[in-house]
Amino acid sequence: MSIDYAELKKGGFLKQKQSGNFIMRLRTVGGNLTAEQLAGVTELAKKYGRGYVHLTTRQGVEIPWVALENFDGIRNEMKKLNLLPGTCGPRIRTVVSCPGTDVCGFALMDSQRAAATLDEAFFGREVPIKTKIGVSGCPNSCSKPQENDIGFKGAVEPAFNPEVCTGCGLCARICPAKALRMVGDKPEIDRSKCIHEGNCVSSCPSDAWQAARRGFHLYVGGKIGRFPQLGVKIAEFVPEEELVETVEKVLAGFRVLARKGERIADVINRVGADVFRRTVFEQEEKTECAK
Amino acid sequence: MREVTAEAKASLDITNDVCPITFVKTKLKLEELEPGEVLEVILKSGEPLANVPRSAKQEGHKILKVEQQGENFRLLIRKGE
Repeated sequence: MSIDYAELKKGGFLKQKQSGNFIMRLRTVGGNLTAEQLAGVTELAKKYGRGYVHLTTRQGVEIPWVALENFDGIRNEMKKLNLLPGTCGPRIRTVVSCPGTDVCGFALMDSQRAAATLDEAFFGREVPIKTKIGVSGCPNSCSKPQENDIGFKGAVEPAFNPEVCTGCGLCARICPAKALRMVGDKPEIDRSKCIHEGNCVSSCPSDAWQAARRGFHLYVGGKIGRFPQLGVKIAEFVPEEELVETVEKVLAGFRVLARKGERIADVINRVGADVFRRTVFEQEEKTECAK
Repeated sequence: MREVTAEAKASLDITNDVCPITFVKTKLKLEELEPGEVLEVILKSGEPLANVPRSAKQEGHKILKVEQQGENFRLLIRKGE
């Protein structure tokens, strides 16, 4: 019997080192599974695996020790249990996210909804090389967006209303970036230091600090592996409704610049972040000109 | 036990506590108060100062005053509705 491993991998079925055994990788979105899905996972791990699962570093669930002849069986039951297959190979992988605004007091942007939108638009898409997307709701970066090929980090830009400021100095005391200092009885902001975390906005007793705008900062070129590096920021305050369009632009720019076998990180190391950024955001105009 | 100031109904010292107990104690103390009443909280700078006022505001209370007292800080929190 000949096995098309590439085809199996597309559906998240990974060959184990033991002949005939496979790992069934499931698709998760933003790291959330319902209780019903978990019950389904339990059932499948007992029936087709060895009664345990492995949790991946990218919020995925894998059921090891599935025999090849059970491939159809487990896939059919997954459909019934509302469990989707994961992916691997040169594709867009599981979109990871922090818990987000639903439950976290720090979150500035709805990272869960963003992850769901991005998953819907991109999960499993065939790309030149594996490409990972991650979202965090605020600069605390709990879900490590900078470790992804494409990462989004929630951010807020503070605006100051001196008329209601009581001069208590709390904002200057708590600013993690030390972007604020008291000058007389009013805070002064150094915008070049501000990391858009918004502690001033969320803590200000008199609401003198307000959110002027919110959005996602875009990081590209993060990866781990043998030669790890963090993504670099190439755009700020991307609105939630432009996330899909922005990822399309990054992928298009990447395709223009990439040599065989390169990830976004490699392209950035070769051409520089500035060239990458310009290619991503000016590609559209170039195409327009070519017409 | 330090004396409760005239404007506050109750006082709480969380200078020996760490997150999340700092806000848990503040929250429990606030629950003993009626809406509109004021709680005085003595806390350290750094993490407690970054989290307690923010959490109190998030839960609908009003920070009336933030002032430095030697190495510590003094908050006056008016309980929300």
